[in-house]
Amino acid sequence: MGNSISLAGYTFVVEETKEVSGEDLGLLQEKLLQLNWGVQHPASGPMRLKVWVDGDEVVKVDPDIGYVLRLLEKLVEYRTWQNAIVNVERACFIDNFGTMTGYSIAAEKIAGVEVPKKADYVRTILCEGGRIVSHLIGLGGFIGVLGVHTPMQWALIAREKFLDAFEVYSGQRIATASIVPGGVRYEPTGKFIEKMISAVDFLEKEFIPRYTEVFIDNPTLKLRSQGIGVVPKEKAVELGLAGPALRASGVASDVRKDYPYTAYGELDFRVVTKEEGDAYARYLVIWEELIESAKIIRQAIEGLPEGEWRTKFPIKVPPGEAYVNVEWARGCFGFHLISDGGTGPYRLKMRAPSFANLWAMPEMMKNVKLADVPVIFASLYMCHGDIDR
Amino acid sequence: MEAWIKAIFFPGFLFLLVVFLTIFYMERKILADVHLRTGPYYVGKWGILQTTADVFKLLQKEFIIQRRANKLLFSLIPFVAFLMVAALIAFIPFSEHSYIVSTSFDLLIVLALVTGMPPVFFYAGWASKSKYSFIGGLRVVNQMISGEIPLWLSALAAAVFYGTLNHLQIVHESSWLGFFILLPAFLIFVTATLIVTDRPPFDIPEAEQEIVYGFLTEFGGFNYAILVLSKLIELFALYSVAVVLFLGGFKGPVLPGIVWFFIKILGLYVFTFVVRASTPRIRMDQLLRFCWKVLTPLALLNLAFIILVKMFIS
Repeated sequence: MGNSISLAGYTFVVEETKEVSGEDLGLLQEKLLQLNWGVQHPASGPMRLKVWVDGDEVVKVDPDIGYVLRLLEKLVEYRTWQNAIVNVERACFIDNFGTMTGYSIAAEKIAGVEVPKKADYVRTILCEGGRIVSHLIGLGGFIGVLGVHTPMQWALIAREKFLDAFEVYSGQRIATASIVPGGVRYEPTGKFIEKMISAVDFLEKEFIPRYTEVFIDNPTLKLRSQGIGVVPKEKAVELGLAGPALRASGVASDVRKDYPYTAYGELDFRVVTKEEGDAYARYLVIWEELIESAKIIRQAIEGLPEGEWRTKFPIKVPPGEAYVNVEWARGCFGFHLISDGGTGPYRLKMRAPSFANLWAMPEMMKNVKLADVPVIFASLYMCHGDIDR
Repeated sequence: MEAWIKAIFFPGFLFLLVVFLTIFYMERKILADVHLRTGPYYVGKWGILQTTADVFKLLQKEFIIQRRANKLLFSLIPFVAFLMVAALIAFIPFSEHSYIVSTSFDLLIVLALVTGMPPVFFYAGWASKSKYSFIGGLRVVNQMISGEIPLWLSALAAAVFYGTLNHLQIVHESSWLGFFILLPAFLIFVTATLIVTDRPPFDIPEAEQEIVYGFLTEFGGFNYAILVLSKLIELFALYSVAVVLFLGGFKGPVLPGIVWFFIKILGLYVFTFVVRASTPRIRMDQLLRFCWKVLTPLALLNLAFIILVKMFIS
C-alpha cells in the first residue's frame, strides 16, 4: 500500500504497489481516474474516500476508515463505572455530553439508581450546550467546503462563549468529563448559569441575526446544495440514516421527543423536520435545531430545581444489561452496556450515528459531479471520532 | 523619465512586487475584518510586513519537482506566466505620464495576452503529472474560454463607444455620460474578470475541497510564489483595464491622478474580497451554463446597444 519504509536499511520505496482486485480492477481497466479524496485533504478529515471519476462524473465512492481508531469500547472494560466516562466522551469530543449522558443512564438502569431532579436538569442544559457547540461547527463546516470560511469564524466566536461556560462548570473546555453515573460531577454554580445565559444571549442576539442575514437564503448556497444528494423518506429509513440527515428527509424521529430521558419530557420544544431530503434541507435542519436548543437551555435554566446534584453510585453493580438511546448532536446514539457484577462494565457497545450515515453516503454519491462530493459529505454531518471509535 | 527606468521601477517590476504584497496584505486584513478576526498583526506595524515575511519564506524553500513531471515545462511555466502578465502592465496608464508604452492597439494587446493564459495554466497542470493538477488544468481551460468571450465583448463595447483602442485616449474622452451608457458593459466586464482570473465564487480550477489546489498542487516554493504572483497581477491588470475603460482612469478632482486611479482600483478590490467572504463556490456545469446562456448573450446585446447609441451620438 503506497509508500513504505522497508525495515532493513531504511530504503524508501517510492514506486507505488497497487493492490486492486475484483470490481475495482474493472473500474481501473475502464480508464477511470481514481482520486484519493482524503486523509490529507482540506475537507476530508482523518478518513479516505476512494473516488472513481469519469471526467467530472463520480462513478463510485468507497470510504476507507480507521485512521482514528482508539478502541474506546475495549478501553471501557478496563475502567471502573465512574472512570469509564473519559473513554465514552471521546467518541466525539465536539459534543461530549450526549455520550456521557447515555452511558450514565445505562449504568444507572443496571444499578437501579434514581438520579436527583436537579442532575437531570443540569444534564439537559449541558447536552443542549454540547448540541449547540456541535451544530455551530457543522454549519461552518458545511459552507466551509464551498470555499467560504466566514461562517466557521463566526461560529467559532459563538462557540467560544459556550466553552467558557463549560470551563467555569468543569474546569475543562472540551473534554469535560462532567456527567457521571449517579448525577453530574459538579454543582451548577450561579456563575455557570450566568455564563450559560450570556452565551445563549450572544447566540440569539448577535450570532443568529448576523448569520441569517448572509447565509440563510443565500442564493448561491441554494444553487449549490438544493437537489443534491436527495434521499426520499422511505430510502432514508431503509439506509438507516440518523439525526439531522434523517429528519431532513421528513422522518420526525427524535429520541428526546419519542422516548424522553433526563428532563426533556418536561420541556417544550419542536422536532425540526424538512421534506426535501437534499443537502440544503439537512443544513436548514441543523440551523433550526440550533435555535430550538437555545430555547431549551433557557427553559431548563428557568425550571432548575433545588436540591442534590449527585447521588451515591455503588462501586459494584449487580449483573444485568441495559440498552439506552440518546439523541446526540449527530443523531441517535445507542449504548448497550453489560455488567457482570464487577467494579466496571463487562462490555459496552456503542451504536454510532455517523457510522450509519457514512455507509449511506456511497449510495447518495452515485452519478453526481465531483464538486458535489464535499457538499454531500459535509451535509451528512459526520464526526470521524464517532465513525471509528 | 526614460522608459526603461519606468519598466524597472514605476510602473514596472518593483512596483508589481509592491502591489502583490499590498494586495495580499489587504485581502487578508479585509477578510479578517469580515470574519471578525484581527488578521496579520505581529510582523511590522499593523502586520504590514507579514506578507513580505511569507514571500521570503517561500523563496527559501526547497525546489521540488516530482519525478514523473516534465522537468523543463514544469520549471518554465511560472516564468512564462509571469512574463505574460507583466507585459499586460506595460499598457496601463496609471496617470497622465506614468505608463511604459502607449500604442494604438493597447486594449487589443491586453485582451490577446489574457486570452493566452489558459494554455499556460493547462500546461502547468499537464506537466505536473498529478491527477489533481490535471483535472485543475482541464477546468482552467474550460472556465477561461467561457469567461473570455464576455470579457472581449464587453471590453470592445467600450472601444466601440470611444472609437479607439488606445488607453490614454479612452481616458481623455471619458465622461459621466459614457459611464452611465457603459454601466452594463462594466458589470459584465467585472464578472468576466472574476471568471477569467478564477477568483471566488468562480475559483473552480483550484477548489481545494475537491482537487486540493488544482494546477498549483505540485508547485512549491519560488515557483509557487511566481505563479500566484502572476495570477494576482492578472487580476490587477484586468481591474486596471476596467478602471481605464469604464471608470475614467486617473481622472478626478483635487487629488493627483495616480491617487484617483488607486482609489478606484481599491473599490473594485474591496468588492472582490467581500464577494469572496460571502459567496460559496459554484459548480462547473453551473458556471458554463451561466457563461454561455446568460453572460455571453447579455454581452452581445450590450454591444448591439452600444453600436445603436454610437449611431445617434456621432
